[in-house]
Amino acid sequence: MNAWARVGREVLLALRNTGRALVMLGEAIVNIRHVFSRQNRYETIHQMFVSGIKSLGVITVVALFTGMILALQTGLELRRFGQEVNIGTAVTVVLLREMGPFMTGLIIAASVGSAIAAQMGTMVVAEEIAALEIMSINPVRFLVMPRLVALALIMPFLTMYTNAVGILGGAIVGYTQLGVSFTAYFDNCTRFAENKDLFVGLFKAIIFGVIVVTVACHQGFATTEGAVGVGRSTRRTVIIAFLTILTMGYFITRMFYK
Amino acid sequence: MIRFEKVHKRLGGRVVLDGVDLQIEPGETFFIVGASGAGKSVTLKHMVRLLTPDAGRVWVGDDCVSTARGHKLEQIRSRFGVLFQGAALLNWISAGENVGLPLLERTNKPEHEIEKLAREKLALVGLAEAYDKMPAELSGGMRKRVGLARAIITAPEIVLYDEPTSGLDPVTSRAIDQLIDSLRRELGITSVVVTHDLHSALAIATRIAMLDEGRVVALGTPEQFIKSPNEKVQQFLESQYITKRGAWEKAAAL
Repeated sequence: MNAWARVGREVLLALRNTGRALVMLGEAIVNIRHVFSRQNRYETIHQMFVSGIKSLGVITVVALFTGMILALQTGLELRRFGQEVNIGTAVTVVLLREMGPFMTGLIIAASVGSAIAAQMGTMVVAEEIAALEIMSINPVRFLVMPRLVALALIMPFLTMYTNAVGILGGAIVGYTQLGVSFTAYFDNCTRFAENKDLFVGLFKAIIFGVIVVTVACHQGFATTEGAVGVGRSTRRTVIIAFLTILTMGYFITRMFYK
Repeated sequence: MIRFEKVHKRLGGRVVLDGVDLQIEPGETFFIVGASGAGKSVTLKHMVRLLTPDAGRVWVGDDCVSTARGHKLEQIRSRFGVLFQGAALLNWISAGENVGLPLLERTNKPEHEIEKLAREKLALVGLAEAYDKMPAELSGGMRKRVGLARAIITAPEIVLYDEPTSGLDPVTSRAIDQLIDSLRRELGITSVVVTHDLHSALAIATRIAMLDEGRVVALGTPEQFIKSPNEKVQQFLESQYITKRGAWEKAAAL
């Protein structure tokens, strides 16, 4: 097979997988009507706890240092013009529009997405998915839908938390390194940031949550070849979710900021 | 009850089933034996459409499972219970919840009634005390018995067993055999068992089929099977230290 044929084959494979993942996502969305059924209700709350509360530690550290780095980098440049008091605006706008949902999406893809892919993959290998099918339990309704609803609901809250901690990190650096008082910093934070920045960021967060669950469940369900396959699915999930979040983040930004 | 008509299946470029014809009658305990890779589990998976034949058809009663879709496929599958090789229990819910899961998901029965039925089925497989235990706390034999309780809680007409005694000690293996046999005698359930374990097959099977390279090379009652002149059958018997006389006497004694 020559190089062009190989590239063509890979493109077709990628398109087929994307199509299958989207069909699975569609089926999960159709099944959202069952979210309040006995088993799904508990599972959705459980998944919100697992993906939300259990990720707070790592999100706190990443958000705090992201805010601190942003404040330090922009503050050092602005100080050359005597404008370091404006770091509040820079940190807030960058976090609300881009870095908040983006960082949260990446953390959730790496922690929750990989865990979902590994769980689904292990269930395929252990024939648990086949067992569900035999029991006429739709795996998409039983496993994918609760995770989809959980992440779509929890992601905006996690993103708001990332934004808040990041802005606080910026304030700490502003006060300790750049001599910007907390009052001046927080006054500045709200001066130029618009509601649109917050809402577009939260919209991105929901989309990123949907991407993580779709990629993770699709890769998990496609697992073959035992433990090696589970590892491969997990790795692919993180890579595909990262790239999809990055590209979708650009297109959503392009859609709202022309 | 279950009929295979010239079923062919290739997996990964290899022929796994090569024109399999089989007929399993209601109330039978039908064993499918053979070496690893002979196509036993693939045969079992065709009965519930976990795999679809490349050619040929599989019938369950008057329904063709190979072409059924949607609600029809669900209807056919609801006639089956399946005990998977590793039991396939969901690890994040208790043994009792695993057993009650098919009823919880497929019926509108109240939870207290489902719990009562799950406890009854666990008692039937000798695990009355295991309701609240998590799958990780159970031994291999206990997991299989929980899997069996889950397979029969919906009162299926047919139960499929994929290697029910693999990885178990001889005493637990015989206990599982007796459970399978009692399900046929007491509840009239049709059983299809895939196994390497000829001791089980000779003890409780009504008929045994041997697969080799995707073909049925021997089919008959345990007595006919053990007397089969087929070279592959004799090799398989000898590999488990079963002589024609000794094994049949042991089987008859059970």
